Amino acid sequence: MMLQRLTVVLLLALLGACASGPGMQAPVSTSSPSASRGTVLPRPTPPEEQAPAATSSPAYIPQPVRIEPPQPPVSRPPVPDYTPLPAPERQPDPATPASALLSSVDEAMAAGDLERAAAISERALRISPRDPWLWFRLASIRYQQRQYSEAEGFARRALSFAGSDRELATQINQLLGQIP
Amino acid sequence: MTRSRSTKTPAKKTSRKQKRQSSGFLGRWLRRIIVLGIVVVAAWCVWIDVKSRRDFEALQWALPARIYARPLELYVGAPVSANDIIDTLQRLGYRRTNRVSGPGEYSVGDGIVQLWTRGFDFWDGEEPSLFVEVDVLGRRINRITGDRNNSAVPLVRLEPVEIAQINPGTGEDRLPLTLNDVPPDLVNAVVAVEDHRFYDHFGIDPIGIARAFIANIRAGSIVQGGSTLTQQLIKNLYLTQDRTLRRKIEEALMAIALEIHFSKEEILGAYMNEVFLGQDGNRAIHGFALASEYYFGRPLMELPLQDLALLAGLPRGASYYNPRRNQQRALDRRNVVLAQMRNQGFITPEQYQQASSQPLVVAERPAQRGGGYPAFMDLVRNDLARDYDAEALQTEGLRIFTTLDLRVQSTMEAALEEAVKAVEVPNASKSPTPASLEAAMVITDAVTGEVRAVAGSRRPGYTGFNRATQASRQIGSLVKPAVVLTALESGKYSLASVLNDKPMTLQLDNRDTWSPRNFDNQFNGEVYLYDALQRSMNLAMVDLGMQVGVPSVVETLRKLGFEGNVRPYPSLLLGAVNMTPVQVASMYQTLASNGFRSPLRAVEAVTTGNGQRLARYGIATEQVFSTSSMYQLEWALHGVFERGTARSMLNRLDRRLPLAGKTGTTNDLRDSWFAGYGGDLVGVVWLGYDDNRETGLTGSSGALRVWSDIMNRLEIQPRQLVAPADISWNRVSAQPTNTEALKDCGAPLMLPLREGQWPPTPVNCEDDSSFVDRVIQRLRNW
Repeated sequence: MMLQRLTVVLLLALLGACASGPGMQAPVSTSSPSASRGTVLPRPTPPEEQAPAATSSPAYIPQPVRIEPPQPPVSRPPVPDYTPLPAPERQPDPATPASALLSSVDEAMAAGDLERAAAISERALRISPRDPWLWFRLASIRYQQRQYSEAEGFARRALSFAGSDRELATQINQLLGQIP
Repeated sequence: MTRSRSTKTPAKKTSRKQKRQSSGFLGRWLRRIIVLGIVVVAAWCVWIDVKSRRDFEALQWALPARIYARPLELYVGAPVSANDIIDTLQRLGYRRTNRVSGPGEYSVGDGIVQLWTRGFDFWDGEEPSLFVEVDVLGRRINRITGDRNNSAVPLVRLEPVEIAQINPGTGEDRLPLTLNDVPPDLVNAVVAVEDHRFYDHFGIDPIGIARAFIANIRAGSIVQGGSTLTQQLIKNLYLTQDRTLRRKIEEALMAIALEIHFSKEEILGAYMNEVFLGQDGNRAIHGFALASEYYFGRPLMELPLQDLALLAGLPRGASYYNPRRNQQRALDRRNVVLAQMRNQGFITPEQYQQASSQPLVVAERPAQRGGGYPAFMDLVRNDLARDYDAEALQTEGLRIFTTLDLRVQSTMEAALEEAVKAVEVPNASKSPTPASLEAAMVITDAVTGEVRAVAGSRRPGYTGFNRATQASRQIGSLVKPAVVLTALESGKYSLASVLNDKPMTLQLDNRDTWSPRNFDNQFNGEVYLYDALQRSMNLAMVDLGMQVGVPSVVETLRKLGFEGNVRPYPSLLLGAVNMTPVQVASMYQTLASNGFRSPLRAVEAVTTGNGQRLARYGIATEQVFSTSSMYQLEWALHGVFERGTARSMLNRLDRRLPLAGKTGTTNDLRDSWFAGYGGDLVGVVWLGYDDNRETGLTGSSGALRVWSDIMNRLEIQPRQLVAPADISWNRVSAQPTNTEALKDCGAPLMLPLREGQWPPTPVNCEDDSSFVDRVIQRLRNW
């Protein structure tokens, strides 16, 4: 029984090996056209084929493989049909890029991902590099991360942009005073 | 051997007993051989089974690290033109249409760009796919609306452009994806054309084999293959050219083993990622996702049916059917695939008609891939080497996000060669061997220290000697701001300090003497400190440097961020210290950041292939100089453009002033330097010859012109300088003098000075007298 099964398998394998004609090219070859490849012909395909249907696996495979039937022909996933309209004349105050990012900073801090909060603050800084509040925000994040020397650097930079904003300057100096 | 002996045994004369014995003997041996054979074959099968299962389970492709440029950010007020947006969209493979209907498409109207982003997993979170309409006025974004309800959108970030990769030793590249992410049309196309009984067979396809066998015998040669997708997968996985019978049997057995242990989906998924689909130089294109990017410049999900069919036809012969080189063959093959899909009911005849009538359109082959920005990539590799070994970079599919700004880099590359040619003095050294003037340029962000662009040669894309990181040359007068800064920081000097610009001879430690000269061999006598810097007077600077002490100047260089070798000799005061352009940029970065040192960075973050953050290299900043010293220094450096060595560029740059900068020229005109900065960018230009010969150029006749040309194209922003609280403006005598009698307060100068550091009485034109007194004083001076 065992012998029979093996013989069948071997014979099939042998046959398969003999019949495997123009296969795939191994990727180690270069892209320059080679003589052998130039003569390769496409495999003629019989026209009478039907759509494949799911069947059970052949009996001599110990673990039958369950296969989902192939997907029915589907084109690209449908995209919502969206026609942009002209912008209305009056709009509510559009959020500034920095304020939009600051709300993401808050989200990241609420989620405890301080490094992500720092990353988003820096993204905001690239848009408004002279915004002392953003520098101060970074200082506070680094302070919370206990990266005190970085916190001090950011705080001093915030101070250098604070100008006449006394309230901010006071807050920054408070933070600087807390840095051990 | 045994068998042949037994068959030779004469049969005629042997008795029945002997015969029985003989046949028993023969049978016994035959049985033994068969049993042995079965054992051997069984062991072989088991081994193949174990091996293929183990290999498939552990299937993990070596994936190259992908390097990305800084993503383009769109927001109201962003200094971005419609062309900048379109250029980026084209690099990202967006398709221009009349009506945007899905991700990866854009349209251009009158000052309006509509686009639908694809979304991307950035290190700081996911950027959603979004439809927006961007209204651009010149070089500024005026309005962004979009999303579902056409409201104002504060901020949109495009996907980053991939600029290079660090390839694995295998040379294989792929973008792995799960079967769920493969468009069903592609799966259907592959099954239809390669193995239409894929869902029915058990790894090998006896019916297909028999049919192929007969067809091949009829044709007298191999015209048809019976290889299943599973067998093709095995062939690809074990990358062998070996075509022996044993090899083929082994492959067939492995295919069966795979089918026993793994689902059809797992096998198909692996095939979709593994199959070889093209060759790009030394990079092998594997898998359909990468092939889609390679041939069409777009993600698989965005491809229409006919393009998916083209890709499905490639496994048969990626080179033979290469759509770039063999257009007609590729088109025919594509239509064969489409016909198979129709015949097998995967597409309707109408879909077939529609798709097969489409022309073949492939993307331009990306020319700069991998080798596009060699000088910048040197910095990236250097930054990465601190935390990642080469193996990790070549195999783990990391995503490296860099600070490269493609707008800045492309603008610089487009202008550099011409700008250098324009200033080149032919054969200035009168050397018999011709050579061409070389150049290096570094552009960084003036606030964050992020490197925006680098050129290591006057020719963009040159992969040889990277002068930006490797050419270490004397910096000449570029050192002078450090001398002035040392003096200002000491608290004993101000811009109104009077220096002596007169001949001097210094006694050196080794008993030699040193007699520095001015560039024009003239002497200016008593000069203000700010004037000595602006007009780059050597003797006055040596006077100042010797007063503050050379070791203090060395310390200032360290604080500015210079880590290389420096000898504390008096000649340092005139720039006898070697630096690369990148090192100069890092020093001037600290000046541009108003005394805050931020190390230059080329890498911003590293994530895994699916967007998980591994490392982030954020802004770091440390205050190393007081804001009032920096303010005074910067005011003096503005004057370099307005009155000093860079005033020749006044016309070209007047709209952009104030800018700050310094020229540098070395002995015998061997090096021409300019380092300068605006509100947004720092730029350093070096010009010189690799063999150190004479250039015939000063800093202002050479590097400054190149710098101005490029920074003007980049629309460098003016400096925004806010005086610190302890700085106030003071009148000083027009004539620098320490002598009260010579004080000339007729047309006094206004200088920013630090409180408590106002100049001593002789030159100070401030007094306690009333306004009327001052008017009378002025009238008297007439």
